[in-house]
Amino acid sequence: MSATSVPAAAAKKERVSLRERLSNPWGRPRFLAITTWVYIAWSLIPVLLAIRFAFNSGRSRTSLQGWSLRWFWQDPTLSVFHDPTLRSALEQSLKLAGLAMLIATPLGVGLALGLQRWRGRGSGTANRLTLLPLVTPELVFAVGLFLLFTTAFSFIGLGTTAQVIGHVTFSVSFVVVIVRGRLQTIGGDIEEAAADLGAPPWEVVRRVLLPLLLPAIAASLLIVFALSIDDFVVSQYLASGADTTTVPMRIYAQARAAPTPALNALATLMLAATLLALVLAYAVFRVLTRGERGGRSALGQLASLEATIDAGGTK
Amino acid sequence: MSGDIRLEELTKIYGDVLAVDAIDLHIPPGEFFTMLGPSGCGKTSTLRLIAGFERPDGGAVILDGLDFLRTPPHKRNVNTVFQSYALFPHRTVEQNVAFGLRYKRVGGDEARRRVADAMELVRLGGMADRRPGQLSGGQQQRVALARALVLEPPVLLLDEPLGALDARLRVDLQVELKRIQEQLAVTFVYVTHDQDEALTMSDRVAVMREGRIEQCATPQELYEEPATAFVANFLGAANLIPVASQPGVRGTELALGSFRLRCEAEGAPHGEAVAMIRPEYVRLEPHGAEGENRLPGMVEEVVYLGFHQDVRVRLATGALVRADVPNDGEAPEYQQGDAVAVHLRARNLRVLAGDGERAVQDAQAAAAPEPAGTA
Repeated sequence: MSATSVPAAAAKKERVSLRERLSNPWGRPRFLAITTWVYIAWSLIPVLLAIRFAFNSGRSRTSLQGWSLRWFWQDPTLSVFHDPTLRSALEQSLKLAGLAMLIATPLGVGLALGLQRWRGRGSGTANRLTLLPLVTPELVFAVGLFLLFTTAFSFIGLGTTAQVIGHVTFSVSFVVVIVRGRLQTIGGDIEEAAADLGAPPWEVVRRVLLPLLLPAIAASLLIVFALSIDDFVVSQYLASGADTTTVPMRIYAQARAAPTPALNALATLMLAATLLALVLAYAVFRVLTRGERGGRSALGQLASLEATIDAGGTK
Repeated sequence: MSGDIRLEELTKIYGDVLAVDAIDLHIPPGEFFTMLGPSGCGKTSTLRLIAGFERPDGGAVILDGLDFLRTPPHKRNVNTVFQSYALFPHRTVEQNVAFGLRYKRVGGDEARRRVADAMELVRLGGMADRRPGQLSGGQQQRVALARALVLEPPVLLLDEPLGALDARLRVDLQVELKRIQEQLAVTFVYVTHDQDEALTMSDRVAVMREGRIEQCATPQELYEEPATAFVANFLGAANLIPVASQPGVRGTELALGSFRLRCEAEGAPHGEAVAMIRPEYVRLEPHGAEGENRLPGMVEEVVYLGFHQDVRVRLATGALVRADVPNDGEAPEYQQGDAVAVHLRARNLRVLAGDGERAVQDAQAAAAPEPAGTA
């Protein structure tokens, strides 16, 4: 009985009309999949084209002329490696990103710990104010900093110091978000438990809190790096001259003058650095939170990490 | 023997809420002491004050004659087992258990031996190298227990340690906790909102309400001789009948409308009072049965509960009495609408002070459902 009914059902399946197949509520969501892939192609193709021209052997940025590494370092005068303006821009970008990363992360960790512990009048307001830089338009932020360094803080003045302070100021909020998310998953009980077992306050931080915060700290370092190296507006406003020009500023300026594929090469290097930072942040976080409660808390943390990366991307 | 705790007028205020209201308490060494109450009754706050996680707004915590008030938690000779376990996820089970030994200046072979003993005690052999994330809830709670017990504290504080476990496991661990407590003769201060846990394990139970201790006694005394309607209802079920009480010939005479009841208890409160009797002590007899403490009524509802039936009888005076009738395998004797006589035996009746309205409010407060996972 059942042996005959199964092939019969299979045969019946063949004759399902196209209309039925499209409106089948149990079928795979083909339309959604197509939309997603079209979107991905649409957003990736310009980037991929730009990268392709970085490897162009000719001078053109519009027509394909074979492959070479000429614009990275082979060209004795015009390549990123040999053109002093491009090279100094790359150095300045890396310098700012490195300094911002090393200053903003400890600052943000401290701020997050403080905000987590501070209960009482004003703590709620302070909490929200810390996140303000995340939503402030960057231009407003940059103009404000510009006025600050040219008037009230004129003893600092414009230049590398001002640029670093600017980058630290807006990226601290990201660190606070990441670290607070982690603190929330850790929970207050763990610190109390450590104290209860006899650990004095400094030991609680050293043996329990810092090891548990390590993933968040690693993620913060790399995200601040990525944010800083991407930044254009703040760097531009707080720059003091040619030696404080960063890669985004150089690309913007030269794209209007005499662009060569060296600009594409420079942009490609930037993209690689940013991607590397983010992939590392993700990987380090995964490795360090491995084995924690079936990865559930790590996943929750990752969600907030990814949200932060998204916010950084649209900034 | 150490592990003697004394609380003197211990007080804690959060904002404008009096969480712990001048509690006086003495817990002798080696006692399994339980603080029982609904959420927000101050039981966890009291425990946190003993552990030192909170500073009291008044009063004292005295351990073995020493005032603890100015001692920070890491220097207190008490250890805590948390409801959330609070294990260190980045350390193995063994490292978790060994965590506190360093601060006791115990190292090397001695530390290894004590860790192994503690793990043996909670039956965690073979788990040493696992991470907390790889263990089940019950196993994690055992690690938390071993981590505290390895330090050999005179007092162990347990904050709803079984709250996050499923019912079966809870029963198993109750037995085990009691075994460990008896074996080590450590003072246990146990916080729970679960009356079964309190009755099963404790030497003494303090029923708490709104920051105060409502009654503190042995489980049997709490169940048989509750001091208030709140206690009567928090531990088990209770029939509460408003009566007028006066000294009688043998015991106390209770007036219920035109009926008279005798209660054997001497020295019961007089005047407006509440008569209390457990449903399992109520006897149902055929209509017209003669004798003292028998009241006529009509069966209003019969609820079948498997091993027993909950028979609700409306008395002629208007009061509702619940009777637990054990299921003996015979056909149900009582049906809705049957006229019966309710026998409230004199030796099972208790008289609680207070008027009927207050008693009903208290009963409702005790029966209020506990929000899951809070204390």
